[in-house]
Amino acid sequence: MSMSELMSMADLSLWPQLALVVFLGVFVLVMRRLWKSPASEINHGASLPFDEGEITSTTSAGSNR
Amino acid sequence: MAEQAAGIVTESGGVHGASNGRTGRMESFVYDDQIVRMFVTATIIWALVATLAGVLIAAQLALPALNLGVEFTSFGRLRPLHTNAAIFAFAGNAIFAGIYYSTQRLCKARMFSDKLSRLHFWGWQAIIVSAALTLPFGITQGKEYAELEWPIDLAIAVVWLGFFGVNFFGTLAVRRERHMYVALWFYIATIVTVTMLHVFNNLSLPMLVADILHGRTPQSPAEYMKSWSVYAGVQDAFMQWWYGHNAVAFFLTTPFLGLMYYFLPKAAERPVYSYRLSIVHFWTLVFMYIWAGPHHLHYTALPGWASSLGMVFSLMLWMPSWGGMINGLFTLRGAWNKVTADPILKFFVVGITFYGMSTFEGPMLSIKSVNALAHYTDWIIAHVHGGALGWNGFISFGMIYWLMPRLFQTEIWSKKLMSTHFWIGTAGILLYVLPIYTAGITQGLMWRAFDETGHLQYPNFVETVTAILPMYWLRVAGGLLYIVGVAMLAVNAFMTWRGRPATYQVTTHHAPALSSVGYEDPSIPSSDLEANTKFAQGVDRVVLSGWLHRVWERKPAKFTVFVLVAVAVASLFEIIPMLLIRANVPSIASVKPYTPLELAGRDIYISEGCYNCHSQMIRPLKAETMRYGEYSKPGESVYDHPFQWGSRRIGPDLAREGGRQSHDWHVRHFENPRQLVPQSIMPTYAHLLKQKLNFDSIQDRVNAMAMIGVPYGADVKGANAVENARAQAKKISDDLVKQGGYQDMGDKKIIALVAYMQRLGTDLTAPVEAPAAAAPAAVPETAPAQAAPAPAPTTAPAAVPTKEAK
Repeated sequence: MSMSELMSMADLSLWPQLALVVFLGVFVLVMRRLWKSPASEINHGASLPFDEGEITSTTSAGSNR
Repeated sequence: MAEQAAGIVTESGGVHGASNGRTGRMESFVYDDQIVRMFVTATIIWALVATLAGVLIAAQLALPALNLGVEFTSFGRLRPLHTNAAIFAFAGNAIFAGIYYSTQRLCKARMFSDKLSRLHFWGWQAIIVSAALTLPFGITQGKEYAELEWPIDLAIAVVWLGFFGVNFFGTLAVRRERHMYVALWFYIATIVTVTMLHVFNNLSLPMLVADILHGRTPQSPAEYMKSWSVYAGVQDAFMQWWYGHNAVAFFLTTPFLGLMYYFLPKAAERPVYSYRLSIVHFWTLVFMYIWAGPHHLHYTALPGWASSLGMVFSLMLWMPSWGGMINGLFTLRGAWNKVTADPILKFFVVGITFYGMSTFEGPMLSIKSVNALAHYTDWIIAHVHGGALGWNGFISFGMIYWLMPRLFQTEIWSKKLMSTHFWIGTAGILLYVLPIYTAGITQGLMWRAFDETGHLQYPNFVETVTAILPMYWLRVAGGLLYIVGVAMLAVNAFMTWRGRPATYQVTTHHAPALSSVGYEDPSIPSSDLEANTKFAQGVDRVVLSGWLHRVWERKPAKFTVFVLVAVAVASLFEIIPMLLIRANVPSIASVKPYTPLELAGRDIYISEGCYNCHSQMIRPLKAETMRYGEYSKPGESVYDHPFQWGSRRIGPDLAREGGRQSHDWHVRHFENPRQLVPQSIMPTYAHLLKQKLNFDSIQDRVNAMAMIGVPYGADVKGANAVENARAQAKKISDDLVKQGGYQDMGDKKIIALVAYMQRLGTDLTAPVEAPAAAAPAAVPETAPAQAAPAPAPTTAPAAVPTKEAK
């Protein structure tokens, strides 16, 4: 029996429901991960765009003209 | 290599920054802003090109004379140029500019390799120029947003993954900030998913390969470029819209969300409203978007389960999309006074608002009953342009204006001009989308309108075109306003650049390198499940507690694999059944491969971009079957490499065009459509009556088709296909002389195209012949002396699905 025939026998009406269950599982995991995250960790993450590293010096590059 | 390029200076020192996850030696480094300047410049140039091309083709729809009677500037050839320029040139360069700027800062590292950055920049521009040089010449794969032919596709794969991907992931590897900010997650998802989409949707057989394997030489330079999708019909349609929808998701949404999460807080000078929400936004979007593609194929020959799955996930997408929009807008809470004064924030606010509107409208359009009205109409065009002009355009403009003083190290030349750009651009978007929404709904309602006797109220398709022409003119006006805004940006950027200092200041930054020495991942928390098994407690501690995810957020390779699994699992869920299940695509005994001449004609149809205006998919809706005939079956397109179902009806559907008109009618119509239909907005194709058909190449085309599974039997041998094509061409040519007096058309391209048009949809009612796989395809009787009646809408198909598809 070929793979194609095997798949033809599968009940595809279950496919969308199965997909939703998979999604629900992932969603629960993500929510749980966030629920457990300490505020300090979240605040650190949110502040990253404002931390580009300390500036130590500024020099001139070559001529632009 | 990376260290040399980055000019990193390491300093002796102890362990630094252990408290925030950094434990290595202090290092000095400078960011590469030159590459950002290059991408910003390219963004502005391509924005002008893309919008100018858009206004030209919009004007062509209102005034067909603007096709200029030249084959290279017809709507069918320029429309792909416009879409490719807008998506890959304008939006693509904007994405790269933002990613190169923000990734370096978020990683506290210069890009991994300056050489790869330059290869990426110049490689991408070369790809765009290649597109501009091939599409007007009709060199196309014939799949929307994936028109570029195989050599360019290979170049895209190399530049995208080999240069950009390696450079990006290399930068993550040498970063000095352990936590990857959420914008970087969106960039990772973009790179991984676009690679997957691009590779699988563009699997094709180049004619060159078929020629080499058959010991033949390509007949013309164009043959070196020509290829055909390895997928056919419904499977090709599925792959194409899996790609098409997710190109919107992962090229026009996720990277721009990454840019939003970086540049909006920077411009507003406050962190994002909720970092937690941004994480939910990311995972739900990445997981859900990939499932939604089939909503582009409602009421087509796609199986119902796939269509419903696409609709349900599209509706679910409302939540993460609006979560993201709310997160963006709430970032400005308490700072709305800044918005009133700062045009950059105005661009961001309107851009995010358009994101919210588009992502509300998208799921709404995926509801089958709404889709039945909107599909194939200008409603979809309005929806797309709300997203492209509002979301992608305005986020790009806001980002560029924010970057300009930082990149050119001087004040913006004119804040007033920037503000004017905002207002004129906003007016332009509204003047574009509002009339086109009206046009779409008007046309959709006219298509399905019945009179009191139960007949179509507007049986003549062109009536539904002329009714919306005023809206087409308003769209041109809206597009022109938008272009004026882009021109203002170009002038402002140029003048700001002119005011740059004689030498750019190079700022050296300082941060500790990441090191595993002295650093440990957070310990695994204890489980709350006291009365459970050890296994369950382990799962709870490692997985459910989020510990694993938290660790993976610091490990780019594992994180990338996780993203890849999320998008691949969803894709495989839909694609594997489609590719493997025979029952999904029942073939029809009377459906045969195109004759060699029809095949050549089909390639001309693709080359001219006819699919941009004509669908070949009659939906099982009363109004459609009354207008066009029996609804389309999946088994009818099993030999269509690529499928040509189309997505818009600027002209009528052609799925049952065969036999409706005489050969003479078709030739006259192609020569100048307004000879027969005075109100027609179709371009002229007079060049097809003059250009000679390369009969010798037909054998190569048939050989290639046979290699991808089309049963051509003896036509593959020797020059059978050529002889067959010449015989059919002579017959049509003779008929033409009898019908209307067109002389000497037997060796012209128009003959092949007419042969193809006359074949469309006729197989369904053709008599079923005994299997004759080894016999050459006979020259069909496709030459009605007069127009044959269209198949009666209520007629049951003569050919009942009898055999299984390959």
